[in-house]
Amino acid sequence: MTASTIALLDGGTSYHHFALTDPMVRDRAEAIVRLRGLRAADLRGVDTVVVSCRSNPDLLADAAPVLTGILERGDRLVVMGETEPGTWLPAVRETPLPTNFWWWLEPGADLGLTVRAPDHPLFGHIDLAAATWHYHGMFAVPDGAVSLIDCAEGGSILYEDRVSWPGTLIVTSLDPIYHHGSFFMPAASRFLDGFMAWLADG
Amino acid sequence: MLPLALVHPRATRPGWLDRVPDDRTVQPVVETALTTHAPDAFAGLLVDMHIDQRLFAGHRTWIEAFLAAGGTIVFCGLLAYPFLPPLGRFEPLARRSRAALEVTIAAPEHPLFAGVAAADLTARKGVAGFYGRGQVRPPPGAEVLTRLDGGRVPLDWVWHPPMGGRLLMHPGNNLWMYAGDETSAARLTPQLLRWADGMVPA
Repeated sequence: MTASTIALLDGGTSYHHFALTDPMVRDRAEAIVRLRGLRAADLRGVDTVVVSCRSNPDLLADAAPVLTGILERGDRLVVMGETEPGTWLPAVRETPLPTNFWWWLEPGADLGLTVRAPDHPLFGHIDLAAATWHYHGMFAVPDGAVSLIDCAEGGSILYEDRVSWPGTLIVTSLDPIYHHGSFFMPAASRFLDGFMAWLADG
Repeated sequence: MLPLALVHPRATRPGWLDRVPDDRTVQPVVETALTTHAPDAFAGLLVDMHIDQRLFAGHRTWIEAFLAAGGTIVFCGLLAYPFLPPLGRFEPLARRSRAALEVTIAAPEHPLFAGVAAADLTARKGVAGFYGRGQVRPPPGAEVLTRLDGGRVPLDWVWHPPMGGRLLMHPGNNLWMYAGDETSAARLTPQLLRWADGMVPA
């Protein structure tokens, strides 16, 4: 397995700044690239592009041709939570869900997530507990794609699609970059650490 | 009376504007359109925590003209791109314990906090941290309104910049996110709107 060269898209928000400049994230990436005004030339020389959590969907709609170009050229696009990919990325079907921020206040409560692909290499870097804080929606997984984590409502909150494009699309409704960069939610920071380690592995 | 401008990232109308009292006007202004308005067109700017702060900080000339005209800036979110000297970046709490997240109101006579219980700012449904998780150091002469960590860390403050106007710094989630809460924190939004449209010439 060869190491990935990763570009992280920066929407200019506070949480992108604080998360993407944290050495835990920054040291695993080749470049931080401004989302506003994104051009294909900005993403030359990388094989993985990460759409950071809560990037402005209006800017993503503008950047959609560049981002689908990553998939068309055979590289990997990683779309994080709260970015409304169903509105700017073809063949992504997202159902927004009301976010239950408070589920864990009930004694013995369970958020209801299930690992669907336990042998996937991501789970060499994170466990389900690290993915368990809350989620903002679920996806219908395209035929031939693989859900890594399902939610109680029956959809996927993290899937990998190696069939719909020449490249690989990873989509999640988890928003760990937002939480890590907001200094708010320790599980999200653990998830981001493991997720970046997995992406960097190739 | 001049309107307040809500500076926010998207071309959609934020839902909380439906809760604005009838005697106040809050005009949503998408962040890219801010400088198309005259700097004396608004009494105050309500700056949303999700804006592109890099873009905003690039508008320093406009911001200085806005303040010089007597305007008030209410800045929500963790400052990552200081837009005016001597402001520095947000610094997270060194200790992130529940005790450190306890909010105290240092200026209970201030109109923003009339009738607001500090406990309702500290926790929403038992969860601490929404209101504040660190600080932006107040410039000399700023009035500190709230504090964290047993009073050791300044949180909300108001500063009168030398060119005129006022800056209310709130290094936490949007102050108007509490507008629909069933606690005394809901008082913040109408009280903020009444406070923010008072003009303050140099």
